[in-house]
Amino acid sequence: MSDPERTARVKKFRRLPIDGQSLKRLIEAGLIWLRTNQEIVNSLNVFPVPDGDTGTNMTLTMQAAWNEVKDSGVRNLGEMAALISKGALMGARGNSGVITSQILRGFSRSVNDKATLDVETLVKAFGEARDTAYKGVVRPVEGTILTVIKEVAIATEAALGPVKDPIEMLEVAVKAADEAVKKTPDLLPVLKQAGVVDSGGKGLFFILEGMLRHVYGDSLETPTMSLQPMSAMNLQGALEEVEEGQDYEIVVDFVPLGELDLGSFYGRLEEMGTSIQVGEGEGMYRMHIHVPTEKRYEPIDYIMGIGTVTKVAIENLLAQMEEIQKSAQIKFATVEPGNIAVVVVSPGQGLSKIFASLGVAAVVAGGQSMNPSTQDILNSFENLPTDKVIILPNNKNIILAANQAKEVTVKKVFVVPTRTVPQGLTAMLALLPDGDLEAVAEKMIKAMSAVKTGEITIATRTVEIDGVSVKDGQVIALLDGKLALAAESVEQGVMDLLEKADAGGYELITLFYGAGMAHAEANRIKDVIRGKYSNLEIEVQEGGQPHYQFIISIE
Amino acid sequence: MGEETTTLGGIHISPTAVATIAYHAVLQSYGVVGLAPKNLADGIVSTITREPLRGITVRYKGEDIDIDINIIIEYGTRIAAVAESVASAVRFHVEKALGLHVNSVNVHVAGLRISDSD
Repeated sequence: MSDPERTARVKKFRRLPIDGQSLKRLIEAGLIWLRTNQEIVNSLNVFPVPDGDTGTNMTLTMQAAWNEVKDSGVRNLGEMAALISKGALMGARGNSGVITSQILRGFSRSVNDKATLDVETLVKAFGEARDTAYKGVVRPVEGTILTVIKEVAIATEAALGPVKDPIEMLEVAVKAADEAVKKTPDLLPVLKQAGVVDSGGKGLFFILEGMLRHVYGDSLETPTMSLQPMSAMNLQGALEEVEEGQDYEIVVDFVPLGELDLGSFYGRLEEMGTSIQVGEGEGMYRMHIHVPTEKRYEPIDYIMGIGTVTKVAIENLLAQMEEIQKSAQIKFATVEPGNIAVVVVSPGQGLSKIFASLGVAAVVAGGQSMNPSTQDILNSFENLPTDKVIILPNNKNIILAANQAKEVTVKKVFVVPTRTVPQGLTAMLALLPDGDLEAVAEKMIKAMSAVKTGEITIATRTVEIDGVSVKDGQVIALLDGKLALAAESVEQGVMDLLEKADAGGYELITLFYGAGMAHAEANRIKDVIRGKYSNLEIEVQEGGQPHYQFIISIE
Repeated sequence: MGEETTTLGGIHISPTAVATIAYHAVLQSYGVVGLAPKNLADGIVSTITREPLRGITVRYKGEDIDIDINIIIEYGTRIAAVAESVASAVRFHVEKALGLHVNSVNVHVAGLRISDSD
């Protein structure tokens, strides 16, 4: 909409009294705008939280409010507000939905006896909405939707006087909500850690902004161009969602020449492909897109025209998909009767494949927080055509079950007490299938101590162990099973861990990346390591293990 | 069962500890304005208690934990939605802190507090 058109529209709004029907339209606009941006709100959820779908819950709550009034012809403001409040109450979903319904309830009670909305009424209603929202909880958590409605109430109260009409006041409210949302990470550390703003607060902002966009006559159907912190970009799980025309994944890091115009940037990218994400951090931008084969260089060429490209990552998603489907079948070593069979416990598909390639006869799925039973281990080798078996538990909590399996079988079993996956892999190198069982097991035990194991994961609670204090959600690194350090990012965790392990004095570092880690990201970290340890051999392998971003072998 | 045997010895987690975790989860849940004593004999005078064990019962059944919570909800909120988020918040926080499986969380709405009638 052009500026003169917009001005005319706003003027018209200013002239007409805001009655029940106008309020109904505003609620509808709030709902549509929230629904349009629902996924943005959902994506702000901090893992792990119990209320995991804020955007959906708030949208359903607003939808219920709208359903209550959509056929109503009521002109009186108070009556309309009461209907909206009732609808929201009946349809409130989840924590954020309940708070939304309370905000509407407070608003509604405040305008109860008004036929139309003037500026004083609006400000009073925001105040009442805040008071009602805060009454619903014993221990209000700041940095949430509650803070946002509070800041809106404060800002509108302060603006009363100079600001003389409700539309202008709505502008004040939207601006205050926007600022309050941006401040939420300072009030709630868990948000800061995750690099996001509060989801419920953002949802409330969208509702208010939708109302204002309706007044301006702006589109409510196209989602906001979003620029997220780089750390919050979700570049994982891309393979599960590959569709027609998404043959290549392109990630470009760049520094724009001037101010980046998000609108035209998105517009141009949308012509090329899908799954567009743009992230920002420390003056750098990262763009992610899926494009068809013939357009695989277009985003790079385009971005080179508007800035300095620092790094490009291209992945052939189609080929990777085929690879994955092909490799789902693991080929284990066939055991000759009388030879030694090795059975391992493996926490991930990728690791199982590597073990199989080293001559393992069978794999038992298991690892951290998913310990296999004695029976599982027993089943894995009972039917092998040999009576000589070596078990590699690869986790300290599974050694016991492996030993029990040894007790209950008639076969001759040795448990080589490997406590980590890298120990198991190193031990496998000492396997001689037709050797003497005891001698081979001895050799394996000797071999496994030559490797150091690093593990990178996310802390699930705040704790202090061995003088290392760790906050819930922080990246932590374990060296040979002991908590070694905490870090702010996976990359930093890996680097600090290698430092601590004196990696410089070794020859080979292998990174086994976990199920939640993108291949491109693992490769990027490999490059960072190479930058520091240029004399070492560095390999990246798909481990597929859950919980651990990386299992690292240093030998 | 709240007990775990490690190579170093046993760890026992008392019901009070579980109740305390649940208590904090409850008080941060939107819509809950207080906990109520388990029964009237427990305290007719104080309907809103600040003491976790007064409104929360924790029972161990084998490996599982069962938690009963008596809450007072703000009038005007959707009670079903509030109770549901209380149950999921309590389950989440107890399982996260203790690593033990919570079998059931039963939420009893013992009363409503009316701050503003409509």
